[in-house]
Amino acid sequence: MNLPIRPILVALRRHKAGTVLIALQIALTLAIVCNALFIIHARLANLSEASGVDEPNVFVIKNQWAAERPTAQVDAQVQADLLALRQLPAVRDAAPASGYPLQGGGWDNLVTLTPDQTHPITDSAVYTSDEHFIDTLGARLVAGRNFRPDEVMVMGTQQSITPPTVIVTRALADKLFPGGHALGKSFYAMGTTPSTIVGIVDPLHRQGVSQWNKAYAGQALIWPLRADDARGIFYIVRAKPGQLAAAMREAPKALYAQSRMRIIDPKDGVQDYAAIRHKVYDSDRGMAILMGIICAVLLAITAAGIVGLTSFWVGQRRKQIGVRRALGARQRDILAYFLTENFLISAAGVLLGVVLAVAFNLWTVTRFELDRMSLAYVGVGVLVLLLLGQGATFAPALRASRVSPVEATRSV
Amino acid sequence: MLKMTHLSKVYRTEVVETYALRDFNIDVKEGEFVAVTGPSGSGKTTFLTIAGLLETFTGGEYHLDGIEVSNLNDNARSKIRNEKIGFIFQAFNLIPDLNVFDNVEVPLRYRGMKAPERKQRIMDALERVGLASRYKHYPAELSGGQQQRVAIARALAGSPRLLLADEPTGNLDTQMARGVLELLEEIHRDGATIVMVTHDPELAARAQRNVHIIDGQVVDLSVDPRFHAAHHAASEAHG
Ligand SMILES: Nc1ncnc2c1ncn2[C@@H]1O[C@H](COP(=O)(O)OP(=O)(O)OP(=O)(O)O)[C@@H](O)[C@H]1O
Ligand SMILES: [Mg+2]
Repeated sequence: MNLPIRPILVALRRHKAGTVLIALQIALTLAIVCNALFIIHARLANLSEASGVDEPNVFVIKNQWAAERPTAQVDAQVQADLLALRQLPAVRDAAPASGYPLQGGGWDNLVTLTPDQTHPITDSAVYTSDEHFIDTLGARLVAGRNFRPDEVMVMGTQQSITPPTVIVTRALADKLFPGGHALGKSFYAMGTTPSTIVGIVDPLHRQGVSQWNKAYAGQALIWPLRADDARGIFYIVRAKPGQLAAAMREAPKALYAQSRMRIIDPKDGVQDYAAIRHKVYDSDRGMAILMGIICAVLLAITAAGIVGLTSFWVGQRRKQIGVRRALGARQRDILAYFLTENFLISAAGVLLGVVLAVAFNLWTVTRFELDRMSLAYVGVGVLVLLLLGQGATFAPALRASRVSPVEATRSV
Repeated sequence: MLKMTHLSKVYRTEVVETYALRDFNIDVKEGEFVAVTGPSGSGKTTFLTIAGLLETFTGGEYHLDGIEVSNLNDNARSKIRNEKIGFIFQAFNLIPDLNVFDNVEVPLRYRGMKAPERKQRIMDALERVGLASRYKHYPAELSGGQQQRVAIARALAGSPRLLLADEPTGNLDTQMARGVLELLEEIHRDGATIVMVTHDPELAARAQRNVHIIDGQVVDLSVDPRFHAAHHAASEAHG
């Protein structure tokens, strides 16, 4: 097929308004769609981030106290509760906690290597629990040791205790002590006494999943502390394999059997990790869906624009199509004419769109500290828009190819 | 060259059937210059569109250059239009978006001709119609006579053996009409077969043979009594 590229371009020069409008629309759509795809992909990638938790078997009980009591009494109750939970037939282990991975937000401290360092090295999520924490979560201890029971300290509501031992995530260990010799080293986390690293877990997610948390991804520390918090305490429970439902049913009953001076919200007081994960990534999922809708709408509008313009041009050029047919154009020559014409317009639009897409991404990089977009997204966007253009042109172009050559003899 | 026997063409709409041609017989020999006349609505254009493979017919037979065309598919018909037939329309039918050069090039591109040969033929054809210097002009920048000469150049560039012209001078004043006719005569002398529909008896008289169509049929003027009325009406229509 002999594609008449030069004459098509020449003819387009005489239809500037429509051509430029569609090319601009394609350019803008490409710019937005590439960036949206990039965001969608990033957000969806978040959804499958590893938490370090044995999610199928772990659930969390949010236990609120019904009355204020002295710390000693509260701690005695906590220990009794934990004992009761661990004795349930469906339960493998249970641990107290100030927070848990994917909770949504929680305690974090700035970290320094010396007590008087003014510029913190980084930020670490803080979990407090006992020697059951790692096993209960199903986290992996990759170096060092777990806490010993006698290392676990009790902290009252008004107290601030820094335990001398700490277990950190590999991410935090590597950040503080690049080179992999963190075990046995000490650091400060907003206190005047140091904590010495006795163990390293990998991985363990922070409580939060926000953009801000991303900068400190995976950086967390665990202190051997049972902290009395007037608001209550989280019990993390790991069921035996396949017994999650039974454990989730039995656990609150066991706690109420211990004491009724507590509140476990019947609605969301007991949550498994499926629910926790679903809730914490709500905004990521929402953003991905929103971006997806924006993409779909934009693409639909652009496609409609192309269909509209091509249909208009086909109608406008019926006579000349007839003349071309009379002069020997086959149906497929006419089809090819319109498809080529669209391709040329789309190519121009796409070229401009690539520039816009990259520029927009660079702007978000400097303005919002987002990541650089991989050019693969631009490639996918280009492909999508070129195909969209050809697809949208096809129906009107097919109609054009069916214009009868006798149309040439009809007076206008 | 062009032979139709018992050919008929029926236009069907929801309510009526119009016989545009009925029991239509004509035989145009290679190298002839035939003028077709007849009253308005008699079927002249219909005959020409069928002859030029722009349209199919309802019944009968049509041999073009020895080939029975009713069995040809669209691609084959396009190829014949492109290679053997040149069209000249009353309304010129140049493509307004393209300049003179590009207009003349259109049929050559569909023939898949290489660029240097296309250029050679285009300039030769434009030379012949006396418009070589205007090759960059757009149709809107030319007079009617000049546009029709470009259309003739476009028809000529592919060296067709059959030239079909539907009232080629209908939109032109006498002066320009004469120029166009002289051009056609020249092309005819070079060996092309020409079939020209015209309302103008003066132009018709300059053809080798006149064919008259009345009510979709070719009639012999010497015997058919309807001729006088029809001829009269045609001359009157043209002032
Ligand atoms: N597409 C069509 N649909 C229906 N009827 C048609 C169609 N084209 C032509 N006709 C009819 O066929 C007959 C012949 O028309 P045609 O155009 O061939 O006449 P003509 O001799 O060229 O007339 P004129 O001198 O006015 O150009 C007319 O009655 C016309 O109304
Ligand atoms: Mg006519």
